[in-house]
Formats: sequence, C-alpha cells, structure tokens
Amino acid sequence: MKTYLSLIISFIILSAGCVCAPCPASVLMQTPADVSSPQAVLMTDAGDTPAQSSKQPDDAGADEYRDDENLDDDDDPFGEERVTIADPIEPFNRAMYHFNDKMYFWMLKPVAQGYKEVVPEPARVSVKNFFSNLGFPARFVSCLLQADFSGAATEVGRFTINTVWGIGGLLDPSANKELDLQKQNTDLGQTLGVYGVGHGFYIVWPFFGPSSPRDSITMAGDYFLYPPWYVQPWYASTGVTAYEAVNSTSLRIGEYESLKGAAIDPYVSMRDAYIQYRMKDVKARKARSVLFKNSGANNPAADTFQPEK
Amino acid sequence: MKKRGAPLLILIIFVLSGPAYAGVPMNAVEATVKRVLDVLRDPKLKNPSARETKKEKLRVIYRDMFDEMEFSRRTLTRNWNKFSPQQRKEFVNLFEQVLEKTYLDKILDYSDEKIVFYKETMVTENKAEIESKIITSSKEIPIFYRMILKDGQWKVYDVVVENVSLVQNYRTQFNEMLSNGTPEQLLETLRKKVKAQ
Repeated sequence: MKTYLSLIISFIILSAGCVCAPCPASVLMQTPADVSSPQAVLMTDAGDTPAQSSKQPDDAGADEYRDDENLDDDDDPFGEERVTIADPIEPFNRAMYHFNDKMYFWMLKPVAQGYKEVVPEPARVSVKNFFSNLGFPARFVSCLLQADFSGAATEVGRFTINTVWGIGGLLDPSANKELDLQKQNTDLGQTLGVYGVGHGFYIVWPFFGPSSPRDSITMAGDYFLYPPWYVQPWYASTGVTAYEAVNSTSLRIGEYESLKGAAIDPYVSMRDAYIQYRMKDVKARKARSVLFKNSGANNPAADTFQPEK
Repeated sequence: MKKRGAPLLILIIFVLSGPAYAGVPMNAVEATVKRVLDVLRDPKLKNPSARETKKEKLRVIYRDMFDEMEFSRRTLTRNWNKFSPQQRKEFVNLFEQVLEKTYLDKILDYSDEKIVFYKETMVTENKAEIESKIITSSKEIPIFYRMILKDGQWKVYDVVVENVSLVQNYRTQFNEMLSNGTPEQLLETLRKKVKAQ
C-alpha cells in the first residue's frame, strides 16, 4: 500500500513538473501585451465616444449593439489574469463529473437531507468545527512551508484555544471578535502554488471532485496529516470521513444546485470556478508569505496565465 | 489595536474628504440591496401566493442595478463580433433572462442572513469594487460587486462570489461553446434553458 502511494505521489509530482515547464515562457511573452493593452483600450474608448455621439445623437439604444472595436478584452482594471487550465483528458473528466453528480443527487444529498432533519444546525456546526480543528496539522505544516509564520502561529493559537476552551474543538471561541484568530484556509496544493508550481491539467477524481496534479498533493498530504485517517481499522476511518462529508454537505445543500442551475455548460462552469478559486487562494497565500511576497510582481505563478486554445 | 485603529482612520479620512466623493458606488449597491430586502421582508407579501408579485418587484430593481449590456459584452468579448446585430440583441435578452431566473429564485429563499458592506475600492475613475459578505450561522460568503459609472449611474457589471467571477465563468463557457459551434447554436441552447426554467 505504502509503495503504491509513494509511486502515485511521485507520478503526480513528475507530471505537474512537466506540464508547468513551458508556462513561464508564455508568461513572459504575454506580459508586454497585457501591460500595453489598458492604454490602448483607453485611447480607443476616448476616440470612440464623441465620434458616435455626433453620428447618431438620438439613437443610443441601437448604438449599443454595434461592433466592438475593443477586441482586446483586457480593459478589466482589476488586474485579472485570464485563467484557464488545460483539459487533455476531458472525456474521462466529463464521465467522472457525471458520476460525482449522480453520487451527489442519489446518495449524498438524500442522506445529508435526512441527517439535517434530525440534527439541529448548531450541532452540525459544532461537528464541522470539530473536524476543522483536526485539520490543524495540515494547515500548520502548510503555513510553515509557505514561510507564513504569523499564519502558523495563528493556527497553533487556534488549536490550543479551541481544543481546551472549545471543548475539544466543538466550539470556535478563537474566531470571535476579541481574539480574532481566523482559520488559515490553506493546504499543501497551495503551498506548491506559492512555490510557483503550475496546476498542470484538470482532473476530476471520483468522490473528491475537481482537482489537478498539483492539488492532488493535498489529498495525499491529507492522508498523512489528517488524524481521522489513522483511526483503526480502515473501515472505521472511512466511516468517519463519510460522516464528515455528510455533515458538511448538510450545511451546504443548495450550493451545488445553484451553481449547476446557473450554468450553461455545468462541467465547464465547475472547471472554471475551481480554477479561479484556487488561483486566488494561491495569490492570497503568496501575499502572506515572508519569502515569496515580492516574487509575485516580477514572476507570476505559472498558473496565472495560460494561452487560450 | 492595529485592527481597531484602521477603520477609525478610514472613517476619519472619509469624513474629512467630504461627503460626496468616496461613498457613491457603495451607496448605490447598498441602497439597492436595501430595496431588495424591503421587498423580501414586506409583511404584506409574506404569503406564498405573493411570490409572483415579489418577483415582479425584484425584477425592476434588478434592471436598475445591473448593466446587462456590459455583462453580455464582457462574457462574449471577442466573440461579440461573430454575432449579427440581430443575434446580439437576442443574446443580451436571453442571457438576462437566464441570470434573472437563476438568481431571483435564490434571492427568494433568503431568510434572515446578515449582509455587511465593508469596503469600497475605486479602481479607476469610473470603476469600483464593493466588498460585502453574507453572514449565515455556519459561514461567511464574500460577495464583491464590480461597478461601472455610466451616464451618472453606478451599475454592477460583474459579481464575484467566493473569489469566482461570474463574468469570467460565463466567458469560459461561451468561449468553449463558440469554439466548437456557431452563435446560432449558442442562442438555441440559451433559448432552451430559458424555456426549461
């Protein structure tokens, strides 16, 4: 079992390394264009408006539907990078997406709904806090590896306070206003992201959902750093994890449905949401890191830009 | 200490810098959200049969709040020019309906969550970002509104929920569909979606 695991991990690391290699080059190529475009956009905008208003002063409504000369859609002042991710195994991913979708609607959701009927919300929040408290080792190690020492200290403080005064982690007293120790939302995949490792490509794992080679490290790391996995025998730890999944789902029923309902192509929508979410997480973590704080400006993470197909 | 000092300082700066300038986009969203909440909490509209009336009222507010033109253009970006003017019109219309229906139903499920607006960033002269969050008993959901000033009115052109930009999300979907299909096929998909809702 152990040998297989290490084989899988080394495969993941290797594949992540290979795929991200060409990215920095494309980043360099693209950056000058990105920098110049806002000005160009401003100029065309400025030139545009008076010309049109003189042509059709009273037909502003139809005018809105005119051709867009502003083909560089980079006038977004929020410094958003276009985030995309390669999807070479799309047929597999789509199959897994449908599998997970069915799992959710046929199994997880009905169970979570039944559970929700029986257990009141404060109790479910406590259970969530309890499991979240057990995630301390993984978050602590990640913070250390990212050189985010204040984050690591916050995590230690939270763990101590919540374990001792929060009745073994059932309550979260350290998040209240006086202490204001907020949970560090981080994991090993983000740590690699902070180091500049790119996503690689998109994978949908059965049960675990959207991921990438890099973020799969999180799952592997969790295996070692998450106490519930050490519960013996194996079916007990699986049971505990399944219970956690049911509990956290019971607090989020409706979120997946609304994401899916709003989407034109739910698979692509999920993929994009996942990648946007992870990218901004990594950015936020980078900003907190003592060592990597300034590397972001001149050397953006490999996954911040990938050329569109 | 540091944390308490900062808001105070910001407050002082805002107060000193005069009432008009800084708060305009934030006030615009806040006022709209308040209008939405007023409709939702209206005791006259409490019973389920008033759902349609509520929807009608919310639809009006929604149109005031969002710049659907900007929204559509930003999601289509360079694909915009592939559409004929007639198709563009239909697209904007259909896309608005898709968004409206999805989010109206969600808003109607609103119970007593707290909504806090806490930050406004002027990005350029006519663009701003308002940060807000919805606080429920088990979590906080950050929602950022990106706004643009057009004809003296601040309107929302992108909503970022938990770090995921809606415009970008739809853009990726439309890009994918248009690289494999025609604008007509995309419109057909949208028509079906609107009908199914």
